[in-house]
Amino acid sequence: MERLKPFIALLDLDLLLFMAVSAVKVGFFLGAVMGFTAFLTWVERKLSSLMQDRVGPNRASIFGFTLLGLFHPIADGIKLMMKEDFVPARASKVLFTLAPVITLVPVLAAFAVIPFGNYIEILGYRVDLVIARLPLGLLYVLAVSGFAIYGTFLAGWASKSNFALLGALRGAAQMISYEVTLGLTLVGLMMVYGTADLQQIVLAQGRLLFGVIPAWGVIYQFPAFLLFLTAAMAENKRTPFDVVEGESEIIGYFMEYSSMRFAIFMFAEFIEIILVAMLAVTLFLGGWQIPYLGEAGFLFPCGRSIAIHPYAVVLAQMAAFAGKTAFMCWALMTLRWTVPRFRFDQVMKLAWQGILPLSLLNILVTGLVLLLAGKL
Amino acid sequence: MIEIKKVNNRPLNLLERIYVWEIFKGFLVTARHFFVNLFCPGKIITIQYPEITRPLEHAAKRRTRHRLKMRANGTPKCVACFLCATACPAFCIHIEAGEFTSSQVEKYPAVFDVDLSRCVMCGMCVEACPEDAIAMDTEVIPGGVLKREDMYLTRNKLLQNMPGDPSIKGAANRLA
Amino acid sequence: MPKITIDGKTIDLPAGATILQAAQALGIYIPRYCYHPALSVSGTCRMCAVEVDKAPKLQIACATEIADGMIARTDTAAVKKARKDVLEFLLANHPVDCPICDQAGECSLQDYYMDYGLHKSRVAPEDKIQRSKHRAAGRYLVLDNERCILCTRCVRFCDEVTKTNELTVSGRSDASFIDIREGKSLDNDYSLNIAELCPVGAFTSRDFRFKQRVWFLKRIKSVCTGCAAGCNIEVHYNENTVYRLMPSPNPETNTWLCDRGRMTYKALQAGDRLRKAFVKKGSMEIEPAIRHAAHLLDEAARKTGPESVVVLGSPYLSIEDNLALAELAATSLKTSNLCLDFPREQGVKDGILINKDDAPDANGLKLLKARYAGLDQGALIELINSGRIKLIVAEARALSSLKEKLRELSNIETVILAVTKSDLDFESACVLPYAANFETEGHFVNYKGLLQKTTPSVAAPDGVKPLWTVLSKLSSCTGAPIRLEDAAELRERISEFIK
Repeated sequence: MERLKPFIALLDLDLLLFMAVSAVKVGFFLGAVMGFTAFLTWVERKLSSLMQDRVGPNRASIFGFTLLGLFHPIADGIKLMMKEDFVPARASKVLFTLAPVITLVPVLAAFAVIPFGNYIEILGYRVDLVIARLPLGLLYVLAVSGFAIYGTFLAGWASKSNFALLGALRGAAQMISYEVTLGLTLVGLMMVYGTADLQQIVLAQGRLLFGVIPAWGVIYQFPAFLLFLTAAMAENKRTPFDVVEGESEIIGYFMEYSSMRFAIFMFAEFIEIILVAMLAVTLFLGGWQIPYLGEAGFLFPCGRSIAIHPYAVVLAQMAAFAGKTAFMCWALMTLRWTVPRFRFDQVMKLAWQGILPLSLLNILVTGLVLLLAGKL
Repeated sequence: MIEIKKVNNRPLNLLERIYVWEIFKGFLVTARHFFVNLFCPGKIITIQYPEITRPLEHAAKRRTRHRLKMRANGTPKCVACFLCATACPAFCIHIEAGEFTSSQVEKYPAVFDVDLSRCVMCGMCVEACPEDAIAMDTEVIPGGVLKREDMYLTRNKLLQNMPGDPSIKGAANRLA
Repeated sequence: MPKITIDGKTIDLPAGATILQAAQALGIYIPRYCYHPALSVSGTCRMCAVEVDKAPKLQIACATEIADGMIARTDTAAVKKARKDVLEFLLANHPVDCPICDQAGECSLQDYYMDYGLHKSRVAPEDKIQRSKHRAAGRYLVLDNERCILCTRCVRFCDEVTKTNELTVSGRSDASFIDIREGKSLDNDYSLNIAELCPVGAFTSRDFRFKQRVWFLKRIKSVCTGCAAGCNIEVHYNENTVYRLMPSPNPETNTWLCDRGRMTYKALQAGDRLRKAFVKKGSMEIEPAIRHAAHLLDEAARKTGPESVVVLGSPYLSIEDNLALAELAATSLKTSNLCLDFPREQGVKDGILINKDDAPDANGLKLLKARYAGLDQGALIELINSGRIKLIVAEARALSSLKEKLRELSNIETVILAVTKSDLDFESACVLPYAANFETEGHFVNYKGLLQKTTPSVAAPDGVKPLWTVLSKLSSCTGAPIRLEDAAELRERISEFIK
């Protein structure tokens, strides 16, 4: 104990507190995200069924209660756990095992910089409602999500299966192409707000344009919003960009996976939907901001104001963030069930001949406007 | 009713080629379905099949599970003439004939199996039957069983009959 | 020779021929019920009526002899009407119980109704005269008087062919019916031919009764191996089961087929059919049993020399199988104790078909004897009496003459080849099953010296192989193979005997 004392001395109280608070934030935020993911698997099935005039999952029951099929995620989970955990004989075992993890970890890590609220003061200690407030948060998100491609490619490569490899090749080509665009679409946004700190961007979106309109990213950068959504959906590898999986043709990079390894891929995909939704909300839809709601209450342009307790404000803002995220998830899923799958050449053409030049144009126009407005 | 739908194959205009607006229109369609079905679930046309069945219409009633009719004296009307087995395109009927020594109609089916897992419900056996002995009017739609044997209709299962008047159609039944 | 013109086609035929025969020679088909080429003409059915120039009425083709310059027509309206009317009379009281009638599918009433009748019945089903149904007639037949059209083919068959006169037409006029004579029963040796002769379903076979519908049956020509007559047959089978045997008329051998010959297929399905080998009465798989038999042969040869083993040919086996037995002795066992001499009394027993010799291939065996020589029957018995013999390899039925002797001399072991258990009536060291004649090809020489071959129609039970294959395997196990491994090798080896 005596010998440990110097080390304990190094850990001052602030650091300990910071670590504790961070752990709580991680637990809270990731817990919420994970729970929502499981819920989302049910939502996806129920949503698509409703869109197609079907009834959807409604059979799994506990003591005869089906709760609109809400037990299906549980049943799915149990089923996947019970399945044979199979590794193909000629597969590269280490990479085969590693691939799902490499897919899941970057997706989860990206949540670290997403602000889900402003800040709260507890006993004079200021707690930012973001797990890690990085000055270059946006670049961090791009950097980390770039890792996901390793998971996809390693899964296809390690399986030693032609179809899996084909899927992986398509995946690699598609993700690299759209990764470029994804970064470029956000450049305009960074130029407008002059920062890459996501919390700063959200705070900037709390301002009002012409005193009336909330200064959300979608107002400033509407074309970038569409481009971002397109690129993000492509990154997500879901319909209409699901040539990587292509259930009806090649099954895709996780073809040889079963049991929980497969479940991790599925889980990562759904988490990615939430990530994309949260990024879209954070960057373009005002993040946790509620229009006209300041730290102390509503302040309407007409001059009226309603005072609200700061804690209530924070809670309302967190709820707004969750609500906006849910809406975006719904929109992404609805879009998935609306648009048919592209051909692979169309996917590539869209990336290099459509979105990429448009995002470059967007940067150019944004720069010009800013130059003319004298803000540069 | 089959109708001819004229497809407009004109080239896409600029707005359509940009695609975004068209996707948005499609998005609205799916969203409309979603909300309409969300708030009025009763209007969904899908039915919960095994629990709810639609009443069978017209000829569909005559394409349901088979049965073998009986005579007034409780013997099967079937005389094991094998014509249903001959007509069957799926080879799902297996018959072995037996012999009554007492009755005037000396032939009867000792074994009469219909393999429903092979049956294509075409009704040819009913058409072929010269004795009006086999019918497909039970209004039971086969399928969805847990054991393979349940798809196998034996003579005794087929003879569990619907109430009805025993008819005397068929040449050999004149004698019964 | 009289020249006759039928439907515009002209033919010369010797005097005495009938219009029906002339039409047949011209390829014109005239429907008939009572006419049968092998029976006398009775002219009862009136179905074959044709129009003859200068004749006031239609003439029946089966009974009208041709005359020079005669012109007959079979396709006029009058002929067609006559056929239709005759059919209506024949069907007036017919029960039309085709669904339960075994004749359905090969019934002349059905065929002609579809070709010429197609009328609506004027007699309501309940008004039809009812007669006796499914009346037992002898061991093999069932008589249904309701279906009968009184063509009298059956009566004439019993009168003219078997000369046993069991059947007669009783009653008179429209009340007449086929009956069995007082004090007789229909059980001559050829009774099943009546079921085949009957153009309708009046006489049906009790054996085939309700087993299968005729339209499912596949047919293949083969040879009966029931006796030395070598009758040609048609095997009717479906899905690996033989259902009945029918004669396939051949002027050199047979028109009919005896009841015993028709029942030879029963051995295939009988409960005593051997499907497994037997070793000292214990059941055994065939392959190990063959190895066991080879071991017995080796032991006998090693202990007491190859001359202590005897191989018997068999008049019941095909040339192929006897060749394999002879080769087994000569090549594999290297013993001179081979007996191919089985003197049999041959000749037609009853003046019709059945031969005194019930073995189908005694003459085939003689061909092999010419090539392989071997012991004659007397020398064989002497050899067995001498006590030097320790082991006999033989087909079951060939051993029957030695049975008593072998029971006395209990020190002789036997390796027996058999199809059914009923052929085996004493204990044997090893019994090997082989494929029956319906399951494999084989050449047989009948009592007249006519070489014929059987055609396989069904497959042998699992693992059961033709005798020559069994012996080939047996010889391989003894270390000196006779090299009869496939059909091509076999064909080459027997070619010198089946020229």
